[in-house]
This record gives sequence, C-alpha cells and structure tokens, in this order.
Amino acid sequence: MSASVLHTEVAVSDEKQAAAKSAGRRFGALVVRLGAIAAFAAIMAYFVIFAPGFTSTFNLINVVEQSAILGVLAYGMTSVIIGGGSDVTEGGIDLSIAANMGLCAAVYATLLSMGYGDFLSVLAAIAVGMAVGALNALAVVGLGILPLLATLAVLNVAAGMELTLTQNTVVGASSPLLGVLVSGSFLGISALAWALIVFSAIMIVVVHRTSFGLRLYAVGGHPEAARAAGISVPFYVSFTYVLSGFCAAVASILTVSRLSASTPGSGELLLSVLAAALLGTVFSRRFVPTMGGTLLSVLFIGLLANGFQLLNVSSYWVNGVQGALILLVVAITSFARGSEGSR
Amino acid sequence: MSVSANDNAAKVSVRGVLAKYSVLIAFAAIVIFFAIASPTFLTPANLFNVLVNNVVMLAIVALGLTIVISSGGIDLSVGVSVDMASMIFVMLLAVGYSGVVGVAGGLGAALIVGILNAIMITRLNISPFLATLGVLFIGQSTQQLATSGGQPIYLTSGYAADQFNAIARTALFGMPTPVIVLIVLVVAVHVLLHRSVFGRYVQAMGAQPGVAWYSGIRVPRELSMVHVLCALLAGVTGILLSATVKSYVPLSGNAFLLDAIGATFIGTTLSRERKPSVIGTLLGVLLLAIVKNGLLLVGWNFYWQQVGIGVLVFLVLAASFGLRRVAH
Repeated sequence: MSASVLHTEVAVSDEKQAAAKSAGRRFGALVVRLGAIAAFAAIMAYFVIFAPGFTSTFNLINVVEQSAILGVLAYGMTSVIIGGGSDVTEGGIDLSIAANMGLCAAVYATLLSMGYGDFLSVLAAIAVGMAVGALNALAVVGLGILPLLATLAVLNVAAGMELTLTQNTVVGASSPLLGVLVSGSFLGISALAWALIVFSAIMIVVVHRTSFGLRLYAVGGHPEAARAAGISVPFYVSFTYVLSGFCAAVASILTVSRLSASTPGSGELLLSVLAAALLGTVFSRRFVPTMGGTLLSVLFIGLLANGFQLLNVSSYWVNGVQGALILLVVAITSFARGSEGSR
Repeated sequence: MSVSANDNAAKVSVRGVLAKYSVLIAFAAIVIFFAIASPTFLTPANLFNVLVNNVVMLAIVALGLTIVISSGGIDLSVGVSVDMASMIFVMLLAVGYSGVVGVAGGLGAALIVGILNAIMITRLNISPFLATLGVLFIGQSTQQLATSGGQPIYLTSGYAADQFNAIARTALFGMPTPVIVLIVLVVAVHVLLHRSVFGRYVQAMGAQPGVAWYSGIRVPRELSMVHVLCALLAGVTGILLSATVKSYVPLSGNAFLLDAIGATFIGTTLSRERKPSVIGTLLGVLLLAIVKNGLLLVGWNFYWQQVGIGVLVFLVLAASFGLRRVAH
C-alpha cells in the first residue's frame, strides 16, 4: 500500500518535473531563437546608425548581389544536409561544391572564349556540374562511401580538372547572357539580385511547401522510418547531390558574370558555404537546416562584410567575426539543445 | 545446393578479404606501376626524398587527426594550429630569440588553439565540426591581422637560419631530425591510442559516447586531452615546416587539412569497423605521398596530379566500401 502511494507520488513528481522541463525547454529554445535574431538585429542596428549609406537602396541591392553566389551554393549544401542528416562524420555533406563551381566556371568561360554561344556553354556548365553531383551520388548512394570522404575525393578531381583546363590562369569571358547579368535590371533590381530572389523562392517552395520536400526531410531525419513508409531513400539522397551540382553550375555562371572571367581559387568559398548552411539551422524552430534559415544567414554574412567595409574596418576582421559569431550562435543553440537533450 | 552455398560463402569471404586489404593491394599495385614506369622511383635517393618532403609533415598532422577521429570528432582547425605554431616560432626567431624559445613559443601557440577547441567542444557543447570551423575562421583572421594581410616572413640568413638548420638539416643516428621526430611520434601515438588506458577511453568515446559516459569515463576531460594533443601534433608540423622552408607563409597550413583527413579515413578501411588506426593512417599518408611523387616522376604536370590523386582515392574508397557492402 505505502509502496504504491510512494510510487504514485514519484510518478506525479516525475510528471511535474517533466512538464516543468518541457516548459523550460520550450522557453530555452525560444530564448535562443529570439537571441539569435536579436543579435542579428543589434548588429544591423549598429550598422544602420554608424555605417554611412548602409540602408541606401543601392547598398542593400549590392549586398543581395554579392550574396547571390554564396546563397546559391549554400542552398545546394543545405539540401544535401537535409537529405543526408546532420551527423558530423556520417551525415550528408558536399565538400566538392565550391571546387565544382570552379570547374563549371572554367568550362563555361573556356567554351565562351572558344566561340561557342551562350546556349551551348551554359548547357555544358550545367551538364558538368550535374555530372560531378551524379559522381558524388554514385559514391555515396551506390558505393556507400561516407559523404565526407566521397566528396573529398571528388573535390580533388574537380579542382584538378579546373586547373588542367585553365592552367591556373584567369579566363576572360563575355557574352550576351553575361551582359544581361552584369547590367540588366528589372523593377530597379539588378539581374544578379533577381537571380538570388528567384532561386530562393524556388528552393523555399520546393523544400518547404511540397510533399517532395517533406519526404526529403523524412529521409534525412530517419532513413529507416522513411524506407518503411515507402519512400525511396536512395533516390532522394542522390537527388540532393545532383541538385548540389546543379547549384554549383548556376553559381558558376553568376561568378563568371560578376568577375567577367573564371578565376582560380574558388575552392576557398567552401568554408563560407558550410558556415552559411550550418548557421542557418539556428533560425529554424527545431534547429534543422531550412532554406529560409540559410537565406537569412547568407544575407547576414553579406551584410556583415558590407557593414565592415562601410565602417572602414579592415576586411581581415570579417573571417574572424564570422567565426566568432558561428561559435556564439552555436554555443547558445547547443545550450538550449542540451536542456532539450537531458530528458 | 550445398556446393553453391559453399561457393557463395567462399566468394563472400574473398570479397571481405579484398575489401580489407584493398588499400594494401592498391598500394602494392601503385608501387609496382611506378617502379616500372619510372627508373628513378625505387632509388633510395627518391624514396628518401618522398619520406622527408612528402611524408613527415603530413603524417604528423594526420596522427593528430587520427586521435580526434578515433574519439568520434573532427578537427578542421589543424591548419590553424600548424600556422600559429609556425608564425610564433618564426616571429620569435625574427626578433632574436633562440630556437628553443621559438619552439616552446610555437608549441604554446598550438596549445592555445587546442585549448580553445577543447573549451568550445566540452564546456560549450558545440559540435566538433562547427567549433573547429569557427576556430579556423578566427585563426585565419588572426594571421591576416598579424601579418598585414598575409605577408610572409622570410629568414633565410643569419642567426635564425642557423637555428632552422639545427632543426631541419641535422641528423640523428644517420637520419634527418624530422624523420626521427616522426618515428618517435608514431610510436608514442600508437602506444597512446592502442595500448594505453587513455586510448581505450578514446576508442570508447568514439564507438559509444553515451556508454562511455555511463561507464564513468570523464568524457570532457579525455576529450579536451584529445583536442589538445591534436593541436600540439599539428604545431610540431608547423615548426618543422618553418624550419625546412626557413619562412612563415600565412594560411599555408590548410593545405594539410584535406590530405590528412583523407589519409586517416583511407586508413580506416583496414579495419572491419572502420576505426582509425596509426598504422592505417601511415599507410594512407604513404599512399598519397607516393602517388604525388610517382606522377611527378612519370612527368604528369602538377595540375593533373590533383586529378590523379582524387581519382585514386576515389577508387580505393570505392573498392573498400563497395566490396564490403557486397560482403555483408
């Protein structure tokens, strides 16, 4: 008798604790999300007040333009992380995405300089980008190689092929399409900015507003459950790598238009792409990668670099502040997650 | 019926063996190929050159990563540890300090990077991937700020050069000092990782973090140690690098990162559970080094080498992972 009373009491207190914990958890998560957004807002407010010309339409469009390349790449990376799960060593990741962009840019610029038209050159760049993505898919899905490793090997192949193609030189390029991308504008917004806006809209709708996107999340979140539910896991995972290759190709055309050339060294973008895709998880309610979150973090990184520029702070600081912010944001996130995890 | 079953079993085991030794087989095939293709490849002078110039530094960084990856983590900031050690070492020598002070300072700088990683990961619960990525960005900025945007520091003559030569150009027991350093570190890390209590803790954390925790392993303490050790090993590479090239070139350490990760994971194909090991990592480093050197000797230009290495690593991984998948 007394034992059962005790038992009930324990159960009741357990329940209370659990309730308190889940309330605390929700509160913690809320604080983190609001905190991240507040930090975002505070930095922006500082720039608005102290950086001359920060809020001018011209400058803001400039930031969106500058963010276009990083944004498109980060969408590719985000889709791979969504479909492959966000585990550190075993989850989905595409290390080859930046090198792939370099290769596509080299193919595109080289074909243009050889006199092939825009149509063929763009087609070839997209074909190359998707082929590299397909190679990743084959390695990860077909052969079961860890994504981290498979895409690392493909990174070397893509970077090496870019070097062989361009002999490590700048390949100048000009074409009607590039002309439109450089100087065209519609409703007062330049073509590059439109490219990011349209691409973002498509990605957000496809991933967050269709059953396709929902299944993609299922595949990344719990492959076995997804399989049991009749979803073709290999197809979805392969799709993300090919999509990532496609994003690399699109970004390559944008980068050629911005620089009027294909230039060596695009591999350096990799870390920023990773940072953008991973930082974006903070903007989602359950700390999962989302396209909207990625867009916000890409714009945030862009605005940060831009604000520093306007404040005349040396660009050498940008990387460091970006790194510190990642750490800060993720530390707060994992703090909230920690209270979530200890059930 | 029973014959076919036996047949199947035999096939499966052959595949398993092939998967297990695919790296060794690839290694042997590559050595034979280059030995035939280039008369200079198997000469002692060339092999020695590969050892000193391609193996030593990468191997030491890869040893550090082997420890970290064994613990279930990753360290993307090894390049920063290499660079910071190199930077402080060269800067101290540049203002006239002795080699000993320089080495201590350099290792101290790497130690700080390791401690920073350890705090991020164990105290703030940031995932190793993100924590070390953040530290990588901060490290890059620090170097750019300290060198006005990446100006290299060259110390090719005078007292500092003598100190460099004392580290990189001397011999102990008939071997160049860097090679001796590598041998000592390989033995030390092997014992630490595969023969010590600490090593068992590290392996346990890598296999089952939760179980390791409930078994009373002080996970934060051991994990901190793991990251500090990795940074220190990378720091040793930074010092050997600077002493060899008699200079500090900012942001040069990142070149080791992807190769070292590649070498460590190639090494994991040796074990059925895909666990990293010191022997496996060394094999991975040797494989990468020999391919680089061989392609150079065969006359492929530098640009094609990267393609060659990528394709080769891809094939080795495909063989190992693909065959094992079929075997199971």
